[in-house]
Amino acid sequence: MIPFDFEYYRPESISEAVQLFIELDQAGKNPVYFSGGTEIITLGRINVLYTNAVIDIKGIPECQVMDYHEGNLYLGSCCTLVDIEEKNLFPLLTATSKEVADHTARTKITLGGNICANLFYREAVLPFLLADSQVIIAGPNGYRTEYINQVFNQTLQLERGEFLVQLITEPDKIEAPSINIKRRRQWTTGYPLVTVAGLKLGEEIRVAISGLCPYPFRSQKMEYYINSQDFSQRDRIEKALGDVDGNVLNDTEGSDKYRLFILRNTMLDIVSTLEGERA
Amino acid sequence: MTNIGKSVIRKEAEDKVTGRAKYTADYSSVGMLFGKTVISKHGHARINNIDVSEAEKVPGVRAIVAGERFPLTGEEIRDRPPIAVDKIRYHGEVTAIVVADSPSIAKKAATLIHVDYVPLPVVNSPREAVKKSAPLVHENVALYEKDEGVNPIPESNIANHTKIRKGNIKKGWDQSEVTVENNFSFPPSDHIAMETRSAIAEIKPNGDIHIKTSSQAPFMVKELLSAYFNIEVGKIIVDTPLVGGGYGGKASVQLEILAYLASKAVGGRVVKMMNEREEDLISSPCHMGLDATVKIGCTKEGILKAAELTYLVDSGAYSDKAIHLSRACAVDCTGPYRIDHIWCDSYAVYTNHPYPAPYRGFSHAEVHFVFERAMDILARKLRMDPLELRRKNAILPGDTSPTQVVLNRSTVGDVPQCIEKVKELSRWNEGQIIEVDKRYVRAKGIACVWKNSTIPPESSSGVVITFNEDGTLNLISGVVEIGTGTKTVLAQMVAEYFRMDTNDVYVRMNVDTQATPEHWKTVASRGTLMAGRAALAAAEDAINQIKDIASRVLKVRPDDLEVGNRRIFLREEPNRGLDFKEVVYGYTYPEGNAIGGQIIGRGNYILRNVTHLDPETGKGNPGPEWAVGAQVVEVEFDRRDYTYRILKAISVLDIGKVLNYKGALGQVTGAMCMGLGFGGRESFIFDQQGRVLNPQLRTYRPVQFGEQPEYIVEFVETPHIDAPFGARGAGEQGLLGMPAALGNSLSVAAGVELFHLPLIPESIWAEKEGRE
Repeated sequence: MIPFDFEYYRPESISEAVQLFIELDQAGKNPVYFSGGTEIITLGRINVLYTNAVIDIKGIPECQVMDYHEGNLYLGSCCTLVDIEEKNLFPLLTATSKEVADHTARTKITLGGNICANLFYREAVLPFLLADSQVIIAGPNGYRTEYINQVFNQTLQLERGEFLVQLITEPDKIEAPSINIKRRRQWTTGYPLVTVAGLKLGEEIRVAISGLCPYPFRSQKMEYYINSQDFSQRDRIEKALGDVDGNVLNDTEGSDKYRLFILRNTMLDIVSTLEGERA
Repeated sequence: MTNIGKSVIRKEAEDKVTGRAKYTADYSSVGMLFGKTVISKHGHARINNIDVSEAEKVPGVRAIVAGERFPLTGEEIRDRPPIAVDKIRYHGEVTAIVVADSPSIAKKAATLIHVDYVPLPVVNSPREAVKKSAPLVHENVALYEKDEGVNPIPESNIANHTKIRKGNIKKGWDQSEVTVENNFSFPPSDHIAMETRSAIAEIKPNGDIHIKTSSQAPFMVKELLSAYFNIEVGKIIVDTPLVGGGYGGKASVQLEILAYLASKAVGGRVVKMMNEREEDLISSPCHMGLDATVKIGCTKEGILKAAELTYLVDSGAYSDKAIHLSRACAVDCTGPYRIDHIWCDSYAVYTNHPYPAPYRGFSHAEVHFVFERAMDILARKLRMDPLELRRKNAILPGDTSPTQVVLNRSTVGDVPQCIEKVKELSRWNEGQIIEVDKRYVRAKGIACVWKNSTIPPESSSGVVITFNEDGTLNLISGVVEIGTGTKTVLAQMVAEYFRMDTNDVYVRMNVDTQATPEHWKTVASRGTLMAGRAALAAAEDAINQIKDIASRVLKVRPDDLEVGNRRIFLREEPNRGLDFKEVVYGYTYPEGNAIGGQIIGRGNYILRNVTHLDPETGKGNPGPEWAVGAQVVEVEFDRRDYTYRILKAISVLDIGKVLNYKGALGQVTGAMCMGLGFGGRESFIFDQQGRVLNPQLRTYRPVQFGEQPEYIVEFVETPHIDAPFGARGAGEQGLLGMPAALGNSLSVAAGVELFHLPLIPESIWAEKEGRE
C-alpha cells in the first residue's frame, strides 16, 4: 500500500506529456514520468519515493515502437521486458532482459523504466552501451538524439522534464556475437553479484557490467586491456580487473572481494566464449 | 473400504484455486478501523521520546497507542511489553500503533511518528550473549513472572537451561577411541508464509472480545489474552478462517494482542491489523538461530559411545516460545542413533535479534544440521562411509532415547529400512562424489532424521460429529486448516470408520472457539493423531447411538449391527436394516411415535503417559512417537566458482500408514523445499548494530519455482499402534534433514568442512580460500 495520494495522468502525445510535466512542476507537485510503475509501487510503499503526480507515458505511440526503420532497430521506452523477449529483435537485449526480476514483474517493467530506474542495477542498458546505440530524448526544449555513451553516466543524464522515448540500434551491432552472464548470491533469482554483457564487433570485444558498483558501466580502459593481443587471456583479464575503480559493492548480496572473484571468472567465460568464435 | 491412503482432493481446494477462499484479512465490515504498527529501526536502544503530535493531526486518525505500560506478555516468562516502553530490544519491535479510518491513513500517520532513540550496545549472537562482559538484554530477568520449572540465570542473558544427563559421560569418553568436536551456527531466519499475519479485534459493550485471526492456535489466543489481561476466558471468542500457511510462525500469539489493545483504544470498535511483509519478517516472531558445540565419540569400529552437546538457541529479545524450542533441542539432541552416554546443555539465550516462533520441525532441523554434520566429520575421521556409520548406529526397538524412553517398534519406526531404501534410491553405491569434468563434481550427502513432539502432557483434542437429514455427516474439529489438508484427512478417517464415501462427510473449515471443540494447537504434526483419535471416538460414539436406536426398531442386539453406505444393517442379513436418514434425526414408527432424536457424536483425545522432564537429567517421556527417516541431497558443484545446483533431494520417511498419498507427498515435498531454502539461502543478515539488512523479499529469498531439484519421496509404513490407522506425523519430517544433507554433500564436493548456514557459494568460497 502506498501511504500517499498522487494524481495520475495519461497523455497520448509527447508534447502533451511534456506540457503536463511543466505545469505540474510549476504547481509544486514534483511530478515523475511513469512507465511500468513497479518502482513507484515498491519504493513508494516504503517511503523511499514520493510524488504528488505521475505522468504515465505508455499511451504515447512513439514509446511503444518495436520496429526497424531505415535499417535501424527502434525500441520504444515503454516496451515491457516481456515484449522485448517475445519479439526477440535484439538477442543480447533478450538475454540480459530475461534475467531481470521475474516473469510476472517483467510483464510490467519497461525498457525505459529499467534504464532510468532508481534501483541501480539498470541491466537493460548494458546491450545499448555495447552497441553504441542512440537515444531519443524528449523534453521541454523539444527532441534530442544522442549517443547513449555520451549521455549515460551511471544514470541516463536527463534534464528536468525530459524522458527517454526510443533507443536506436544499428543492425551490425544486433547481429554481432554476444553473451550475457548474470551471477547471483545463490541460484537463479535475485539481484546480480555481477552481470556482464559482452559483444564482439569484428575482432574487438566490448564489455559492460552491472552489479559490481552501484551503477552499470562500460569501461573503455577495461576493453583496451581485454583487446591488447600481446598477453594471455588470463593476464589481459587481470589487467582489466586492475582498472576496476574502488567503488565495488559490499552488501547483502556479497562482499567486494567475492564480487571481484566472481567477476574474474565471469570475464574469463565472456572473453573465452567470444574469442572462441574466432576459431 | 478405500478411503485411507487414497489421494482425496482436499475439501477447500476449489475455493483456493479459484481465489475464492477467504483468509482473515479478506473480512471487512462497516465501521471497521485499521491499525498500523510503528516498528523500531534499531537493534537495541533507549526510547527518549515518542512524538506523536504530527501523526495525531492527520484527519481520520482515531487513536495512537504508545508509551503506555501494559501487562508483560510471554509464554513461559512474562518478559515482553506488547508495545515497547523505555527501550527497544530488537529491530522491528513495535513502538506504537496508529488506529485510523483507512489502512492508508494509518500508514501515513505511522510514518509521522518520531521516536527519539539512544542506541545501546548490541548483543548480536548467542555466543556473544553468554560472555561475562555481554550487555544485558533484560536487566532483571530473574524478577519476571514465569512458569514453574523455568530457570533464568539472574544477571545473565540466559532465559533457561535444559539438561540431558544419560548414562555416564566419562565412561562414554573412556570408551571412545575416535572423537570430533566442532562449532556450528546459523542466524535467525523466517517462515515466509504466503499469508502475512492478520488479526481483527472488537470489544463488545458487554465485554465480550471477538478476535478473528490467522492463527495456528486460536484456543491459545483465548487462553493467553485471558491470562495476560485478566479477562474472564469465556468472554474471549476467537475465530480462525483458513490460514495461508503457518509453519509454526502463527502458533505464537502476538498480533492478536496488538489488535486487542488497538480496539480498546477506540472504545472497542472493530480494528483490523495486517502485517506488511517487512513486519511479518522481523516484527512478528521469526525462526530461531543457533550456536552449537557438538562433540561425539565412537569406537574404532564406529560404534557411537558419547555425545556432549551445547546448544545456544538464539532466543532474540524475548523468550516467548524460545524456552520450549530450547527444550526440544535437548529432547532429541542427537540424530536417531543409539548412544548410551549423552550430556547436553541447551540454553535459551537472549540477544538483540527478532524473537523466534516455532518453525516447522520445532528445533529438529536445527539440531539435525549440527549433529548430522558432525556425524559426517566423524565418518571421515574413521575413513568410514557416512551411510554405513549411520546404519551401524541406527536406533532400534529396545534402545533408549536421550530422555531415556525405552523404544519399541511402534514408537520409533524403522530407521534401518529408511537408510536401506535411500541407499538404493540415491544410488549411493556409485560413490559419494563423482567427477563430471575438471570443473564440476556431483556429490551426495545423507542425513537421518527423527522427531517426536514435545507438547504439554495435558494437550487434548475434541471432535463433534453431527448429521444432515440425508444421513451425511458434519465433522467439527478445532484443527485449523493451515494448508496441510488435515481436515480432509479427518474426513477420510471418519468415512472409513463409517464405511461411507468421503464426499458424504462435510467438514467445517473455520474454527470458532465458542462452537468448535478445542484442538490444543495446530502444530507439531499432531492433527492426524490427536484430532484423528478424537474423530474416531466421535464416530464410535455416533455409531453406538445409531445402533442403540436401530436395535430397538429391528428388534436385534446392537452388536449384531453394522454400518456402511449410510445404512445400518444386520451383519448376517445386510438387506435388513435402516437408512441413516431414518435414524439420525430420530426414528418414527408408522403410527407416529418417535424415538431417539438427533444424533451428536462426541470424541476427545489426550496424549497418554507423556511426562515432564526431570530437571536434573531430562529423563521423561516427551511425546507419543517418533517419525523417522533418511534423506539424501545430490548437488552438482562447480569447483572453480563454488556455485552449485541441487540435482536431487530424496526422502525416505517412516510416517506409518500413509493416509492420503498425494497429500503426504505434497507435505513432504513442500517441507523439503523449505529445508533447502533454510539450508541454502534464507537467513537474516545483521549489521553490527543488530539491524536486519534484508527485511524484504527482494533480498530475503525463499526457493522460487525453477530452482527446485528433482524430488524423490518414498514411504516406509511402520504402524504407530496408538494412532488412527497407524499413521505418524508427516507435516514436518521432510524438512528435518535437508540442511544437513545439503551441508554434507557440499562438504564432500568442496573438500572442506562447512559449519554455517546458509550454504551460499560465498561462504564455501570463504572457507576454501581462507584455508588455502
